[in-house]
Amino acid sequence: MHASAFNLAVVAYVCATGLALAYLVQREEIVHRLASLATMAAWALHTLGLIALAVETRRPPLGTLAESVSMVIWVVVLVELWVERYYGVKVLGAFVLPIVLVLSFKTIVRPTGFAQIGPTLGGAWVWVHIALATIGIAAFVLNFAGALMYILQERQLKGKRPGAFYYRLPALETLDRLTYRTLALGFPFLTVGLILGALWAGAAWGSVFTFDPLAIFSFVAWTIYAATLAGRAAAGWHGRRAAYFAVVGFAALVVTLGAGLFLPGRHGS
Amino acid sequence: MALFVAGLNHRTAPVELREQLAVEEDKLRELLREAQAAGIADELVIVSTCNRVEVYGVAEVPGEARAAIFRRLCRQRGVDPATVEPVLYTHLDGDAVHHGFRVAASLDSMMVGESQILGQVKDGFALAQSCETVGPTLHTFFTQAFAVAKKVRTETEIGHHAVSVSFAAVELARKIFAGLGGKSVLLVGAGKMGELAARHLVEQGAFPIYVVNRTWSRAHDMARALSGTALPFDELATALASVDIVITSTGAPEPVIARQTVQAIMHGRRGRPLFFIDIAVPRDVEATVNTLDDVYCYDIDDLKQVVDANIRERAREAQRAESLVEREVAKFRARLSDVEVIPTIVSLRERLEGIRVSEVRKALSRLPEASPETRAAMEALSSAIVNKILHAPITKLRESSRAGAGRSWTELVHELFGLGRRS
Repeated sequence: MHASAFNLAVVAYVCATGLALAYLVQREEIVHRLASLATMAAWALHTLGLIALAVETRRPPLGTLAESVSMVIWVVVLVELWVERYYGVKVLGAFVLPIVLVLSFKTIVRPTGFAQIGPTLGGAWVWVHIALATIGIAAFVLNFAGALMYILQERQLKGKRPGAFYYRLPALETLDRLTYRTLALGFPFLTVGLILGALWAGAAWGSVFTFDPLAIFSFVAWTIYAATLAGRAAAGWHGRRAAYFAVVGFAALVVTLGAGLFLPGRHGS
Repeated sequence: MALFVAGLNHRTAPVELREQLAVEEDKLRELLREAQAAGIADELVIVSTCNRVEVYGVAEVPGEARAAIFRRLCRQRGVDPATVEPVLYTHLDGDAVHHGFRVAASLDSMMVGESQILGQVKDGFALAQSCETVGPTLHTFFTQAFAVAKKVRTETEIGHHAVSVSFAAVELARKIFAGLGGKSVLLVGAGKMGELAARHLVEQGAFPIYVVNRTWSRAHDMARALSGTALPFDELATALASVDIVITSTGAPEPVIARQTVQAIMHGRRGRPLFFIDIAVPRDVEATVNTLDDVYCYDIDDLKQVVDANIRERAREAQRAESLVEREVAKFRARLSDVEVIPTIVSLRERLEGIRVSEVRKALSRLPEASPETRAAMEALSSAIVNKILHAPITKLRESSRAGAGRSWTELVHELFGLGRRS
């Protein structure tokens, strides 16, 4: 049941991505409406899949890393739809949905192996660790999309040759605010999530970093985000510099998830 | 009866001729009344702007109506009709509808997408209405033209994107700052263009406004005109540190704002963007300030480049608008052709109904003892016969009008059933 819902959701996400990108080029109102509808349909199917998974496994759909990434996507799409509607950033989908699609390749398509919850993976703290990290990562996906849009728009304005992005993207100030807010939102979640993970790892295995690739890379990503936030708060970093940091931080995050998904370690593959 | 539009516009006639023919309101009124009195056309609307003079009308012979009305117009304006005749264009029926829709939607304007034309067409229509030269055909036509124009405006971006330098500057400011409310503006110099740009910013909510000029009295006057504050010239650098948008339009031969000055003040701004609009020639701001982080500097050529890009963007939208208009024209033509045959259908029905009622009455007067049931049966029978007979001709009339042959069929029906002269 959950597998077919997930498969349908991926198909709908592919359609939504195609339409969102088409809207960037075409700018027909109807294309945007269709893209929104496809996104909502995909999200609804995704929700159905997650519920089915939870019912079938009798636990939150966060038991494996793949399931957690699937949850990240679910949160990202929800927030994307909200931001698009309430901030009027209609092109956001074109920047967020491709990331969603890349993330969904391994996770939604094949969120199998839900029986492999080991005896060490127990207790409420693990679920809290996973849930917080999930929300944090979702915020950073939007942080990255905002940063990308900022870089493109800034380039257009500096270059003085208005092109497609100049007309379609919102104001620099709006985009800078979006990246700042998503960073300020995501960072505490990621921090507490990581601390809980580390404490729990220490308690369960006796050490914090015993060759778990995900744990190591996530610490790198966290450091980058911490530096960006500190720079923003203390040194008045903003705009392009903050946007570049957001891109680097997200790259580290992608490597982290990739490491967790594809390399052997405690987070399993 | 045919709908036609005849006239001249910025593409067919030189400005000298358009100037001569542009008609003021009272003269237009006179012209409409005269034409009405002389029976030149059944319906008439004249649209007169500095870029076009167009007559929309409904007449039996459009060619004659057109010639008569322009003869009167030329006489009134003292123009030789021979100079006007070669630049006139005429469109009939569907083409006239297409033309009128395009004009109202600002697709036929010199600056495609400009918003004034719709108001001008509405004025022409209202004037004709007050002169009572608008009949059912032009009424439906113009009402629809206004609806199409509105649709084009909301469904395409034909009216977006500034096509003047000063508005382009405002749009750029809005791509840097989320909103202009509460953004402070510094105006350096007293050029007209600078003042205009500052005014546009104030209209968008920019506040407060500071004015700097080498001549104190001019700074003072300009500040008063813009409800701003005048500052002495040596406070320029201090002011730069605090404002969001700087407009420069001095007559200075050398730049008055150096890269170093800007570089120095940017440190204290903690990333607040600074937008220079340099309208002066020669330029007032060193061009290299644009390479500084968070500084955007547009000179007059840059702004013109933006305007050019905006015009190209509008042209793209205009293509979408064209296809929208074409769809609307097709819809309207179907409606119009129904309008053409409806009077005939109505009079045909009235004629047969009249015969039926009088014949039934005659028959019943010969049957004084007829029961109510018999009377009802006779009514029903006669109605059924009439409806059966009417069905085929009505269907045929509707079909033929959609195929464009409505006129010959309505004439035939009028002849056959003796419906009298068509109105």
